[in-house]
Amino acid sequence: MKLLVCVSKTPETTTKIAFADNDTRLDTAGVQYIMNPYDEWYALVRALELKEKFGGSVTVLNVGPAENDTVIRKGLAIGADDAIRINANPKSSLFVAKQIANQAKEGGYDMVFFGKETIDYNGSEVPGMVAELLDMPFISFASHLDLDDDQVATVVRDIEGGTETATLGMPFVISAAKGLAEQRIPNMRGIMMAKRKPLQVVEPIEAADVAVAVKYELPPEKGAVKLIDPENMDELVRLLHEEAKVI
Amino acid sequence: MSRQYICMDTIRFLMGKVHPIAPLFTYDRYADFSEDEVDLLLGAAKDLADQHYFPHFKSMDEHGVVYDNGEVTTPPELGDIIRATAEGGWIGGTDKPENGGMNLPEMIFGTAQLIFQAANNSAQGYVGLTTGSARLITSFGSQELIDTYVPKMYAGQWQGTMALTEPQAGSSLSDIVTSATPVGQDGSYHIKGQKIFISAGQHQHSENFVHLTLARIDGAPAGTKGISLFVVPKFLPSPDGSLTYNHVFCAGDYQKMGQRGYATTHLVFGEDQPTVGFLVGEPNKGLRYMFQMMNEARIAVGQTAAGVASGAYYASLQYAKERPQGRALEQKKNLGSEQTLIINHPDVRRMLFTQKAVVEGSFSLAMECLKLSDLIHAAPESEKEDHFLLLDLLTPIMKTYPAEMGQKSVSMGLQVLGGYGFTMDFDLQQYYRDIRIMAIYEGTTGIQSLDLLGRKMTIKNGKAAQLLMAAVQRTIHEASTYDELKPQAQQLGKALERMGGVVQHLMPYAMRGELTTFLADATLFMEMAGHVVIGWQWLKMALQAKQDQLSGNDQFADAFYESKVQTMQFFFRYELPKTVGLHRTLTADSLPLTIGQVESALI
Repeated sequence: MKLLVCVSKTPETTTKIAFADNDTRLDTAGVQYIMNPYDEWYALVRALELKEKFGGSVTVLNVGPAENDTVIRKGLAIGADDAIRINANPKSSLFVAKQIANQAKEGGYDMVFFGKETIDYNGSEVPGMVAELLDMPFISFASHLDLDDDQVATVVRDIEGGTETATLGMPFVISAAKGLAEQRIPNMRGIMMAKRKPLQVVEPIEAADVAVAVKYELPPEKGAVKLIDPENMDELVRLLHEEAKVI
Repeated sequence: MSRQYICMDTIRFLMGKVHPIAPLFTYDRYADFSEDEVDLLLGAAKDLADQHYFPHFKSMDEHGVVYDNGEVTTPPELGDIIRATAEGGWIGGTDKPENGGMNLPEMIFGTAQLIFQAANNSAQGYVGLTTGSARLITSFGSQELIDTYVPKMYAGQWQGTMALTEPQAGSSLSDIVTSATPVGQDGSYHIKGQKIFISAGQHQHSENFVHLTLARIDGAPAGTKGISLFVVPKFLPSPDGSLTYNHVFCAGDYQKMGQRGYATTHLVFGEDQPTVGFLVGEPNKGLRYMFQMMNEARIAVGQTAAGVASGAYYASLQYAKERPQGRALEQKKNLGSEQTLIINHPDVRRMLFTQKAVVEGSFSLAMECLKLSDLIHAAPESEKEDHFLLLDLLTPIMKTYPAEMGQKSVSMGLQVLGGYGFTMDFDLQQYYRDIRIMAIYEGTTGIQSLDLLGRKMTIKNGKAAQLLMAAVQRTIHEASTYDELKPQAQQLGKALERMGGVVQHLMPYAMRGELTTFLADATLFMEMAGHVVIGWQWLKMALQAKQDQLSGNDQFADAFYESKVQTMQFFFRYELPKTVGLHRTLTADSLPLTIGQVESALI
């Protein structure tokens, strides 16, 4: 069984977001990067668990420049067998999806894993695009994935107000949500072994960036907290109605 | 993870820039490492601390340790912490590969420990003790002892301890009386005696306990020259893997004001039936061997204090940024205006700056010491003595400054919270209780100060002191090339001169054999040396920040670099001047007021 796990590099969760160059890009000064947690904690770990149970291999794939190798090495340290980096500076989801789809097609993978979204752009766009480009079934927001002996997958996905269960055969694309697996912290031996595992760098295929970010801005700052006397519910209702406008 | 307890950017800045680790990788011993591995290893340590250590910081304190008829029950989550730490490789990582380690540099391993200590100091104590005691076996024990005990210890299955203190012999180890009677030609002895204050000496999360025990072989010379080191397991392992009780009885657990999740036991060896121990190395060299672990432990205790102070700093900083109270003095009578956040009050800022200065100054000194440890392992033989001497001199300072000043900084952190800081609802009271022991563990502040002034300053005809002076002067010289740093560089130079002046003033007493006078105020000298050394570290950090800013290096944000320079300025304005008063007291014309017949005044 060949499993492909697509991973992104994102700013650390505690990063203070600021923009540079007339708000056209993230100000990267002082930003520390991590592997997107949904990719690492859920997608990658569940892929590794399936490999450990059924055999096969897990490949991690990233579209990005050489600076991303540290993030890729973490995937290898956690347990992936090898890695591919498509050497590009992507600016749009479709560009990324086309690169991944091309590589996935060449590799003939049985499952293509993603995190449900990256924690920087929160787009949730790439997995669906890849599935479409590969003409494979796609299950998003999966919180449970099992394979039976006939290698038929049962997937539970989160939906509004509940869950939905589906069964499907391989190959397919899946995006992982919380619950699919539990975070694995790489151990010292895994980290030292990671540099000896193959990391293949391939050049991107021709593909246009069809969407370009024009401007970024921060959400409005949260207002100061107002403390309302518990005896004064009328005032609370008035403020919720007139100022917060939520009732 | 609910809140910050350590600043990883500061860790990266210290390890990557101020005390760059990269040159270590040019040595054969560390050639397998690169900065990529450093990032991954530190990230893994932080993940481990976030997932396993910090979530149980408070609950371990609340659960405490319960003793009942020889058994000790520690917090249930401790088992998971020990297992996860061992699986991560964080118990045996620095040892040689043939012993199950990975030759991990101390800089990385020690920094990982610092992260754990900041997250949950009680939990880290258990695994840190196993590391230290196992390394003692691999350094000085026979291959049989290594094969029998170390793999299980590094796997987190067997707990290691250091068993030194006895009821009548704490700071004075020359008075220990635990006896060792030879019983065969295989290096085994019957051990009889009692050991108190044995951390992690008994708990439910370990299959066996390996006590590295100091004892006196029958007929051995009196004093420290007659002390030997033994492995004394609670259970004797057989080749088939079975364990047989070795009559090591846990007679109690000391209930402490802090570190309440960390068992502190009273052990009795050979009371009813013989307890078997195995000699480590040669007879009568036990204290020398044990000093390897004690020196490591002294640095670890200083680190733990710095880690606790770090946790307290971020707890009080967060509170200060969220708590509105009072108004700027100019707005005091304008009661219609909104209250300001307490971080805007100068006195609160003073306390927070002090905390930050103590914490990060101590972190930097820890990194300096860890790097010296690595150089002692890896550098060419011709350079090793200098590294060893400088580390030897810095060790008591590394142990004491964070322990003493950390207490003050945590106390300030508690003060930032006002009345809430004194309640059990907030963590500051726990940090305040936890840090108090650090000035006592592994040699009290008084003992460390005697060691610094009485031994380390004069060792090898003062060579260690000269090495320190030269290292500080190098930083002063480099900082003097930047206009913005010149005033502090000059100030540090004067403080260094004052320290030298104190030594010159006191040394004649030592030459005349008037040791009581020479060392009466050793603790004040320690305080002075601590401030000078931390001033040195702050100047180093500010210098690096300045260089990075000027070169356009954007690994860290401008605000980060500015915070380093501002905190350095704070330290030099509010802390370093304390050396002036200390100098005056230490160089007074009259004898110290604590010697001679003055006890009658203590009524």
